[in-house]
This record gives sequence, structure tokens and C-alpha cells, in this order.
Amino acid sequence: MRKRLLLLLLGATVAVGISVAFAASLGVASGHLWAGSQTLTKGTCTLQGTSSTTDTYVDEQSSTSSFGSATTLSVGPKSNKRTWALIRFNLSSCNIPASGGADSAVLNLTITSAPGSSQSLDVSTITSSWNESTTWNTLPTTGSPFASITTGTAAPATKSVTVTADVDALIKNSSANYGWLISEASQSGAPITTLFGSSENGTTANQPQLVINYEK
Amino acid sequence: MTLLAKALGTALALAATLAACGAAATLALGSNGLAAGNTSVTSCGPSSLTATRTVDNSGNVTQLSTSALPATCAGATVSVTLVGSGGAALGSASGPVPAGGGVLTFSSFGGTVSAASVASYSFAVVGP
Repeated sequence: MRKRLLLLLLGATVAVGISVAFAASLGVASGHLWAGSQTLTKGTCTLQGTSSTTDTYVDEQSSTSSFGSATTLSVGPKSNKRTWALIRFNLSSCNIPASGGADSAVLNLTITSAPGSSQSLDVSTITSSWNESTTWNTLPTTGSPFASITTGTAAPATKSVTVTADVDALIKNSSANYGWLISEASQSGAPITTLFGSSENGTTANQPQLVINYEK
Repeated sequence: MTLLAKALGTALALAATLAACGAAATLALGSNGLAAGNTSVTSCGPSSLTATRTVDNSGNVTQLSTSALPATCAGATVSVTLVGSGGAALGSASGPVPAGGGVLTFSSFGGTVSAASVASYSFAVVGP
């Protein structure tokens, strides 16, 4: 009985000692600390064709006509006969969540008929809604041009426009998907028109294409 | 000396040794050297953190926002490191959690960081 009591006393004392030791360790590490990480998944999505593209052009001379089913998109500066092209893509098939973003995005447009002299075309972000029935009289609003296309005089020729910031914003807010306007600010007396292939073009290589390198 | 006294003496010596170990650990961790081992720390509450970023048209990160931090983290410092695929730190930012918690937004990372080069984000929340 006495030996058992002694053993109990010994055990209790040792336990107290161990507790003191661990308590000291915990005391040193007091304060709040949290650490973590988030690994990003990278991918590429290419959009092309009528299932993901909405495009048309508008004609100042035919201000109430729409050209949503045309196989080419016309851009020309002739005074009172200007033509401007509108293009946008539906990103839903890319399955990029709103928490993701674009690392880079490039709009590829193929000239199927080049002007006789090289033109500088403006690329602007469209800021209000439109569809393939849009006409010159119902043009959407746009921001200031952020890029340009130098057409050259050869066709076919593919022109690339970097649209990373717009696509990144579109990923985060898919409801503001208005696309881009291709226009020529300066007006000219000469009928210098550039034709780009539209999403309805029978040659796939001529159709507008959007290539997105994304993260999520 | 009775058996009881001997046992008590042994136990006290052992306890004192263990307590001394604790004190020594305290001193070692508080010195300018290095201490290693397992220890428990508490956090102010986030179970996870994520970030979303925006880019300019060149693909460089312009802004990074964390997910919401709880109010219990108010006053803590959040550090975010943009890490490349090789593990190198490409940029970093830090700032205090506002009263009431919430999202932190950073717009400076110590230099230009290409979003394409960022493979992961590392987070640390220290304090309050």
C-alpha cells in the first residue's frame, strides 16, 4: 500500500514536470499565425465558329440594314459610306470560373480581301449590348481605341490583336460581354475597304478566332 | 532517510530537470540562433485563403484581392507572395487586415509580375 502511494506520488510529480516543459514550449510560440497557399491551374481555350462567335458589320450608307449572316466583315473609311465590324465571343465553353483570369488573350482576324493601300484600323472595346441585327443606326457605345490593325495589301493575311485586359475583365464579369469594334476613324473619299472573314465564312481558317491562355 | 524521502527527492529532481528543459527551450527559441521542433500555434481564424488578380493588356498583374478574412483577424498582417513555377518569389505584398475583417486588395508587388509566370500564391497571416 505504501509502495503504491509512493509510485503514485512519483508519477504525479513527473507529470507536473513534463507539463511545465510543454507549457514553456507553447508559451514561446504564442501569438497568431496562419500560412497557406493556392496553386493555379493553367490552360488554353480557343474559340472559333458560329457556336461561340457573334459578329456583323454595319454600313453607314444602308443605315437600317443588318449583315449578321454575311461571310465577311467590312471595314471601310469612305465618307458617308463607312463600314465597321463588330465581334464578340461566348466564353462559356472554356469553363473558366469568375475567380480565374486571362494570362493572355489574342484576337485573330483574317483579311480575305485587302485594300489597295495599307490602312490603319482602330480596335475599341464595345461597352453596350448589340446583336447580329444591329445596324448603323443602332450602333452600341464604345471606349477609345486601345489597339490598331495595319492591314497591309495582301490577302489572306491574319492579323492579331492583344485583348488580354478585356478578356480578363470578361472572365470576372461575363454579363459585360460586348466584344470589339473594328473601325477606321479617318474618313476618305476613296473606297478603300478591308474584308475580314466572319464566323459564317466557309473557310475555317478565315473565321475570327480568340485564343485565351488562362488561370483558374 | 526513509524510502518516502528518497522517492520524493528523486521525483523532485526529475521534475526540476524537465522544467529546466522547458525553460531551456524558451531560451533557445528566444535567442538569435535556430530552434526546431513541433509546436502548436493558433490562428485568427481563416480556414483558407485564395486570391484573384487583374491584369493589364500586356498580361502584367495590376491588382490582387484576397478572399475575405474574418473579423477576428483585424489588425493582423497579411502577406501574399506570387510564386513562379520554379518556386521563386516573383513579387510580394503585405498589409493589415482592416477592422471588421474583409477583403484585402494589393496593387504593388515590388516590380512588374507577368501573370503567365505565376504558378501559385503563398499567404501568411501574422497576429494580431
